[in-house]
Amino acid sequence: MNTSTLPNGARGTTAVTVSRPSMQWYLTLAGVVLLIVGSLLSWCYDEGVLGNVSLNVNPGPIQVFMIVIAVLTLFFLLLRGGLFPVLDRLLDSARALRALGATATAFMVAVVIVIALQTSGLANADPGVFVALVGAALITWGSWSLASDPTVDPVSVHMRGWVDILVIVALLAIVLFGAAYALGQEDGTVFVLFLSVLGGVSLALARSGLFSWIRVIAQRHRQVLMLGAFAVAFLFPFTQNGSDANMSIATQVIIFATTALGLNIVVGLAGLLDLGYIAFLGAGAYVGATLSYSAFATIHWKPPFIVVMIIGACVSATLGLIIGTPTLRVSGDYLAIVTLAFGEIFRLAMFNLDGNNGPNLTRGPNGIPAIPDLEFFGFNFGDTHDIFGIPINRFGNYYFFLLVVAAIIILVFTRLNNSRIGRGWVAIREDEKAAEAMGVNTFGLKLFAFAGGAFLAGLAGTVKAHQDVSVTPDQYVFLESAFLLAAIVLGGMGTVAGVLIGATILKLLPEKLRFVSDYRLLIFGLLLVLIMRFRPEGLVASHRRQLEFHEEDTELAEHVEHAHLEATAGSEGTA
Amino acid sequence: MPQRSLIRAGGVLLAASLALTACGSRDSGGGSNSGGTTTKTAKIGVIAPLSGDLSALGKGIQHSVELAVKQANDSNAIPGWKLEVYAVDDEGKAEVGKNAATKLAADDAVVGVVGNLNSSVSQQTQPVFAAAKITQISPANTNPTLTKGADAANPKRTYATYFRTCTTDAIQGPFAAQYLLANGMTKVATIHDKKAYGQGLVDAFTAEFKKGGGTVTSAQTINPDESNYQAVVSAISPTGPQAVYYGGEYPQAGPLSQQMKAAGLNVPLMGGDGIYDPKYVDLAGKTSEGDLSTSVGAPTDSTDAGKKFLADYDAAKYAEPAAAYGGYSYDAANAIINALKVSLKDAANAKAARDATTTEVGKVSFDGVTGKVSFDEYGDATSKVLTVYKVTGGKWVAAKTDTFK
Amino acid sequence: MDLFMQQLVNGVTLGSLYALIAVGYTVVYGIVQLINFAHGEVFMIGAFGALGTWSYLLGESTSIWVLPIMIIGAVAASTGTAVIMERFAYRPLRHAPRLAPLITAIGVSVFLQEAVRLFYPGAKSKLPFPQIDVVTGPAFKLGGVVIQRAALFTVIALVICALLLWLFVNRTKLGRGMLAVSQDPDTARLMGINVDRIIVVAFALGAILAGVAGVAQGLQNSNIDFRIGFLAGLKAFTAAVLGGIGNIEGAVVGGLVLGVVEALVTQYTQYLPFGLSAFGGSSWKDVWTFALLILVLVFRPQGLMGARVVDRA
Repeated sequence: MNTSTLPNGARGTTAVTVSRPSMQWYLTLAGVVLLIVGSLLSWCYDEGVLGNVSLNVNPGPIQVFMIVIAVLTLFFLLLRGGLFPVLDRLLDSARALRALGATATAFMVAVVIVIALQTSGLANADPGVFVALVGAALITWGSWSLASDPTVDPVSVHMRGWVDILVIVALLAIVLFGAAYALGQEDGTVFVLFLSVLGGVSLALARSGLFSWIRVIAQRHRQVLMLGAFAVAFLFPFTQNGSDANMSIATQVIIFATTALGLNIVVGLAGLLDLGYIAFLGAGAYVGATLSYSAFATIHWKPPFIVVMIIGACVSATLGLIIGTPTLRVSGDYLAIVTLAFGEIFRLAMFNLDGNNGPNLTRGPNGIPAIPDLEFFGFNFGDTHDIFGIPINRFGNYYFFLLVVAAIIILVFTRLNNSRIGRGWVAIREDEKAAEAMGVNTFGLKLFAFAGGAFLAGLAGTVKAHQDVSVTPDQYVFLESAFLLAAIVLGGMGTVAGVLIGATILKLLPEKLRFVSDYRLLIFGLLLVLIMRFRPEGLVASHRRQLEFHEEDTELAEHVEHAHLEATAGSEGTA
Repeated sequence: MPQRSLIRAGGVLLAASLALTACGSRDSGGGSNSGGTTTKTAKIGVIAPLSGDLSALGKGIQHSVELAVKQANDSNAIPGWKLEVYAVDDEGKAEVGKNAATKLAADDAVVGVVGNLNSSVSQQTQPVFAAAKITQISPANTNPTLTKGADAANPKRTYATYFRTCTTDAIQGPFAAQYLLANGMTKVATIHDKKAYGQGLVDAFTAEFKKGGGTVTSAQTINPDESNYQAVVSAISPTGPQAVYYGGEYPQAGPLSQQMKAAGLNVPLMGGDGIYDPKYVDLAGKTSEGDLSTSVGAPTDSTDAGKKFLADYDAAKYAEPAAAYGGYSYDAANAIINALKVSLKDAANAKAARDATTTEVGKVSFDGVTGKVSFDEYGDATSKVLTVYKVTGGKWVAAKTDTFK
Repeated sequence: MDLFMQQLVNGVTLGSLYALIAVGYTVVYGIVQLINFAHGEVFMIGAFGALGTWSYLLGESTSIWVLPIMIIGAVAASTGTAVIMERFAYRPLRHAPRLAPLITAIGVSVFLQEAVRLFYPGAKSKLPFPQIDVVTGPAFKLGGVVIQRAALFTVIALVICALLLWLFVNRTKLGRGMLAVSQDPDTARLMGINVDRIIVVAFALGAILAGVAGVAQGLQNSNIDFRIGFLAGLKAFTAAVLGGIGNIEGAVVGGLVLGVVEALVTQYTQYLPFGLSAFGGSSWKDVWTFALLILVLVFRPQGLMGARVVDRA
């Protein structure tokens, strides 16, 4: 069927006109059944392979993953069968089915190989694994020749508000559940399997067009999504039951993400490449440390922490102004090098100011250790507190606090992005000379980007000092700046969601994949090169940004324009 | 209509598979454990640089602890308990070390930890272990502030859980000063790497050296990230020192010695235990003959207990040699094991024994491979034996062993 | 006076090393307007290439005849790396926005460092560099000034390399093609010059000099490790900017000037009045170097010798 010939509101009756399920449809269905049945059977005699897949009707993690894939396949199959005509117009089920089939098959082949390798020969494989393999193959075969049905642009589809919100809630619930599940996996192999399944499923969903639909929904209900995401982040510690290890990682992720968001103002919005941004975090951290109650602190003035935060942020912003001034004359890669040199100067200065070379301010390479935990009105961040019977430990306390800081930064970021200032930055990013000619105060805006980004990083830095217990110069090396930049590039420049995702991936993966920990920087470097080569706009790209990297794509350009008109019309309507 | 039945069938399948995934929780956990053994497990952590510049020393620490634990398990030193080693890498960096310590502290089976190698890293890990009430014994931290606090005039123990089996820079530096003065060298230039270890060593050295009538001709610092020290060498050469005292570790000391001599400054370089490593001679090259270092305790191979340790170590065929701190790590592990003999006896689980272990470690007293092992009220080793080593024929050879006065 | 002469000698030595590396930045920039951030890593791989040749092919001999072979090994390793890097990392991005190649360069830089750290045996810690008797023996003394043999090697290497490079650029067809492309790539293409090939040649040229620099640094410092590329690269980039980026003579002059300034600053900031001397000496020399880099970029982006005029938008 071709939706473009249908009247816009047509529903129900048109769905019945879907052609009768074809041969391939039944073939795929049979594949689904086989895959589920196979995954419920034992795969291997040996208990030690792939986290025990030797039991009947009691699937191990990897078998559960296969069942999840099968269920998703079934969903798209039913969609194609005409179960939800509205969704069918939005989603291209054939492409999704193909991707799911390929994922399942690739997985089952890998499983068979692993079993064969680890138990010396296929003799130890149980029939279940072959049943599942055949099922996966059938899905692939069946779906391969299914005709792709054309879909409509999700921007033009308007559904009831509650449906949209329900989708957002479901999505966030899946994120929370998935994050808790992934973090709970101690076994590195299962974790990798989980990630690969996640990758395959995401690919399938992306191909079906689900994500662009969700993006449209997210655009329409931005507040709901933000609140929901915040709620999910807020609920996360309650899923951890006081585990130190995971909460420690979560806290690090949130500090990293917060800093990356600050950098995103400079790089993502204003388009100024900053390779020394970690220095601003460091400036905040050093202010936090020297004004703390640590026995090693070098300044003996102890203001309340709120004041320390403001001082830290202001010191950082001042440095931002200083490093922003050259933007009057330099831009492009020269600016990048200026900021890189500045970052190195900061680190070396912190390294040197130990009383041997210059005044003793930072205790040089030894840093300022033993920074005590924060305390607000008798609430000590170092203690474990019970909330609803669930222990929230030291990291949990910092996590909540940092969450508030992150929320403030996200708020500032989005407000700036949608303001006159934000539009000025976009103008500078796209064509500085034209912007200047149009009366945009380019120098002032650039300075403001640097100072603002630095201010936020300084804020995060003061908290980081207490959370980390110590501050040393080797925490602020160039590689950390590169990491921050990578988080933005990986996630998608200029977006909030992208940066959060990028930061999570870059901090979480190395912690969880201990067995590749020695190779993590190697992989990081390679990743950076590959992203720039194949998806320079990042995982979650703002459409405008995507366009900058794919100028020749006229279809995309039209889409962006359409979405933009839609968004402005919407905001005018609600305002 | 075919679709409807199809959909119905699909719906049933969907519901069924969903139900199955929901109740697919596994209950096989208890199966493997039903063998009837009552052995409980306690872990001794190792936290040291297992990769990077200092890994030669770190690996030696790890294997020496492994050896002590293996011997304890073989002789069933703690009935009803099996000991394991849990080694984590601190890369010799403060930040990494703190995360690694958090990981150890999060493991309920860990009762004691041997490490860190670097004083600067221990500074960060001390509070982590103290909060988790885990005993930490360092085989190599020589910085005095770790036990006696930031204020040297009014010593105050900072963390009750922290001990060390080696002596401190407060003794090592002056010992070196006395040796140089006794050998007629009264003009010395000092260089350090600004880290807690190097600076502490040089400060203690300088005070004693001046007290004994010597002059420090030039006091310089280097940045350990660099590999060319020409600027520093040019600065001290004209002052005509008879020796150079370096506070730091071998990755910088080796090249420094080589570059000194290539630039025509042919005087011995002396350092602390941080340069007492075979890799120093590799890096310093042929011109390192006559360079000096001090290290804590008598040479491991000079006592019977030490010889037995080295023989056992060789027999266990570890990939890396015991290196400079093998003996201290072995003694540290044995101090923990001796304490565990008391603390684990009536403990329900390893975590419950943490507090008692700290108390017991404070009380241990036995003859280890590096001499008598016992701790004073600050957690410092009571033994004050040191040795001066000299590079002779491309190897470190003991020149003088003495008790510091 | 001896002290001044000594620091001058130190500075020229250091500067020769910077100059050798700086040429790589300048040549590539002149042709494709790309800051090849990973060039420092090419230099590092050159040093490891020499070390590898020595330990695996030459049986760790210390006589003088191994030196040329080590240099060949170094140049092969660095050039190979640079050419592969250009082909697979940079060429696909030739028409991408400016940000893309720079981020790629950071990625390549991290990747190369880690590759050496992980896959070169023993490279996780510092490795001793071979001591070739004739080149690393006792230093010469000229009055009160000490001249090390390795320093002489570095300066001579720079002189020879600079001469050959000059001859190549001005006397060969390929070299003149390079000049043409750097002046106007589109017209050069129309004139039948294979621009892709010229770009590869530019990368290779820089890599050859970086390989030689790798050997020189190894001989001078007697040790190498996988991190030497970062700082050396940054300093050499400073030198290239100082001389006027895109200008080959400028890179050489810039390197020498930077080396001498660094040595003199290290020496004479120790005598600053008003307690400012605390901010002098070798601990702060890199700070002053980077400050100089920032000042030049801001106030004289065309450098001392003048660069090709480029629009840095």
